[in-house]
Amino acid sequence: MQSRLLHVNLTTGELRVEELPHALFERWIGGSGINNWIMWEHFLKHDIHCDPRSPDNIFVFGVGPLAGTGSGSGIKGRITFKSPCYGIFGDSAAGGKFPYMVRFAGFDHIAITGKAPRPVYLYLCDGYADIRDATHLWGKNTAETHTGLNTELGDYPSHVHTLTIGQAGEHQVGIAAVVSDASRIHARGGGGCVMGSKNLKAIAVQGSGGVRVANPAGMLKWSREFRASIDKNEAIYGFKRRGTLGAVEMYQHIGSHFWRNNQGNMFRGDEIRSDNWVKKFHKYSEVCSADCFIACDGRYKIDGSESEKAKKYVGETFRRPEYLTTGSAAGALDIRDWAEVAHWGKVTNDYGIDNQDLSCAISFIMEVHQHGLLSERDIGELFGHAQSLEWGNMEDIETLMADIVFRRNLFGELFHDGPYWGALRYSQRTGRNFMKYSIYGKGGASFTEEMRPFPTWMNNMAVASRGADHLKGIGLIEKFQRRDLSKRYFNGRLEAADLSTPVLKGACTALVENQVALINSYGVCLFHWMLDPAGYAPEEHYGRAFAAVTGIDRTPAELMRDGERICNLEKAFNSRLGLRREHDTICERWMFEPTTEGMYPGRVAADMFETVLDEYYEWRGWERESGLQTASRLESLGLGDVAEVLAADGALARG
Amino acid sequence: MPRTPQTEMVTGTVWYQPGDDIPDVDQKLYALQNQCTDCNVCEVACSLVHSPDGIVNPLLARLKVNHAPQVGKRASAHGLGFVADICHHCGNPPPCAEVCPADAFYYDPKTNVAVIAQDKCIGCMECVPGCPFDVIFVAPDGELLKCDLCGGEPACVEACATRPEMNNAGKQYNRAPVLFHADSATYRAVLQDKPEARDEVGMMQAMLEKGMVSSAA
Amino acid sequence: MITIHAQYQSRFREITRVPAETFELEHPLVSELAARITGKYGPTMHALLMDSDGENLNTRGTLYLNSRGERVYIEDPLHDGDTIYFMVGIAGG
Repeated sequence: MQSRLLHVNLTTGELRVEELPHALFERWIGGSGINNWIMWEHFLKHDIHCDPRSPDNIFVFGVGPLAGTGSGSGIKGRITFKSPCYGIFGDSAAGGKFPYMVRFAGFDHIAITGKAPRPVYLYLCDGYADIRDATHLWGKNTAETHTGLNTELGDYPSHVHTLTIGQAGEHQVGIAAVVSDASRIHARGGGGCVMGSKNLKAIAVQGSGGVRVANPAGMLKWSREFRASIDKNEAIYGFKRRGTLGAVEMYQHIGSHFWRNNQGNMFRGDEIRSDNWVKKFHKYSEVCSADCFIACDGRYKIDGSESEKAKKYVGETFRRPEYLTTGSAAGALDIRDWAEVAHWGKVTNDYGIDNQDLSCAISFIMEVHQHGLLSERDIGELFGHAQSLEWGNMEDIETLMADIVFRRNLFGELFHDGPYWGALRYSQRTGRNFMKYSIYGKGGASFTEEMRPFPTWMNNMAVASRGADHLKGIGLIEKFQRRDLSKRYFNGRLEAADLSTPVLKGACTALVENQVALINSYGVCLFHWMLDPAGYAPEEHYGRAFAAVTGIDRTPAELMRDGERICNLEKAFNSRLGLRREHDTICERWMFEPTTEGMYPGRVAADMFETVLDEYYEWRGWERESGLQTASRLESLGLGDVAEVLAADGALARG
Repeated sequence: MPRTPQTEMVTGTVWYQPGDDIPDVDQKLYALQNQCTDCNVCEVACSLVHSPDGIVNPLLARLKVNHAPQVGKRASAHGLGFVADICHHCGNPPPCAEVCPADAFYYDPKTNVAVIAQDKCIGCMECVPGCPFDVIFVAPDGELLKCDLCGGEPACVEACATRPEMNNAGKQYNRAPVLFHADSATYRAVLQDKPEARDEVGMMQAMLEKGMVSSAA
Repeated sequence: MITIHAQYQSRFREITRVPAETFELEHPLVSELAARITGKYGPTMHALLMDSDGENLNTRGTLYLNSRGERVYIEDPLHDGDTIYFMVGIAGG
């Protein structure tokens, strides 16, 4: 496996190319796994407790070995960094064509440290890289920046593909995101803030080289078999046209939405709780990345006939709002019109900001106001003027968005790191405790779905390495009650698929985290596997593609161990930062307030939370009291060197 | 980089000499406009299947996704859309072969497709403007790239994410092919069968009118 | 004879063209309900509802729940008056 890492020091302007040894892929697979290792090594030489907005933080971009090899399983680039809003391990994925163009330009990973003296962008082309002035781009949103770079750099030797930040990243908003090709977003953890703090406005790439595959005939054969398997799956066709919006009706039925700051779990409004997006707005099917057999994205272009409110947005065109865009807009903020949901999606993308934490920061203050807890004086102090805080009011919402993106008032200053830190700071400032209205999981990250009836999801929110998130431990065995998968992975037992018991829920998180780590390290999209978890397992079928591309042949058991190794390095990073069992936690509402509606009323996380967490640690081989890793388990994964670092930091359990 | 002859990976057969009486290509490639999702899998597969060195590079593909197709009668009213620019396998000898001063075109006996023999090509690039559809491409190192139909089993068609098989009788609208490999009579029949199905919106409307999609909320 | 209500969402509703209907079944079996639905709506419904061997319910990208929120499988019994919801199974990302 031939691969190159570009080191960029923005302080000195130094650029250095390192050939990555094949052994690194044997240990870490690629993509996410290698990104993690690059960051781990960086913080052995730099202070891991540094301010994430300081030049000492690192910003790593990586793309895995399967990306762009004809696998048809999509492409996801990965960014890895110390998170400015959560203060813990941070990473995020996105598609677009940027990741595979980086490979065609001759690189697989980019590691950026330091801080440029003025706004710059990094330019890559066919093995060459330089740092260029971006002062003329500063102040522009992500779409304008992408267009500007395309115009500036032209079409040769290929189209220009970009990673950009918008005004949120420029203002070092903690929850600022990085946008790929102006249309896909690395949303979680504040990667955009890290770029902004380095004065790095964008990375632009052109490339005409190719990607080498070790066994091309084997890769083509795999690709054809994979496509045939997808072909046979009838449910894929619904997914192609509606993407993740298929979850809208299903969640409405089971009560899995996040309504008005999770005061409820069902959407209100006839239009918004159905599939009407497909009927009225979907104009065109499109692909999110490249090299994908599913092509689940879609494009809209508003003509004004779709609804009364659509008349405000005539001509606006962007990609389909996916489920979490809908969950944040129609759920957290109770926006009841699809045109407005779409507009929310476009604006958050243009500003470059995470819609989850942004919506929950706004829904927090709206709920506090709803309960009559904000006086006129409080509002004046927060916003600098009288401010309406009406649920579902798009004008109010856009004003509050801009408050946070531009950090232009006290509300923006308090809440730009998300709803947890905002609520904490506001509570401390006022001497009043507002924490029960703040929705969050580990790290203070929030997530706009109902958690309480779903013990695996609840566990995911408490333990995910990058902060509350479902995309590390994806609890689909439980949510879709997949007895077949429970039996397959847990020796014939059914409990993993049974919502009424905590048994095998922590185990499920541990298992799926290992599988997800593999997908993220291969560099492909999660959905091909998620749609058919029994058909194409990351440790089995994808392992054969990995062998065809890299020449690294592994059994399924070895690959699961590789996935476990990758997860354990992420854990070790957090342990070095001081995270222990008490940080694997969730908010009051999820823990103690019962659900009042949906298919599973009266549920609270507290009923099962500690039992599930105990089981998760047991399956991970981590100490129950502290949550810390043991030397023996780390050594069994070939991580003896990591154990030594943890021991020196006092972050290793006995055993 | 030295290139091995193109026959090896694709067909493994010896091609005919120029001047022989060659019949037309029977089964050609077709690409419907405005349904292509720009997933690139066709370009990726094409480059991989033609590379004995195992290189994937869309710039080495013999077809290209066109991001701004000329607006024709079948273009989407919304001005959104892509189409794959493919070789049309013109009647033999095709214009590209006719303008070649070096007799560098051979014909695959399995498919009658005209293919460039790289060892004879002098790189004059007359075939590039000679092609009426602009589908002879130039690789970064100057090699001229023309579709050879992969010896009769086009990899692009197989890779196409949007259902390229012609055997889609009885399937629903979202199976309509984007890229497919068929004789021209079959292709015309498909279009005549669903004349309104020229873009996604048209297909949606046809489905609604025929009651095949429910508008119930 | 038992009465079972079926409700269809999303992709299922596109095939059936109705949001809901009622079946009278001779036996309280999911297999009989499945056979009635696929018999009525043809091969596309069959491909979506059943898995590739045609003997079990399709678990790939689907979610079938009864009124108590429990997933139904081919071997499960049905209760008179129950409603089965046929939904797609996808989560956000």
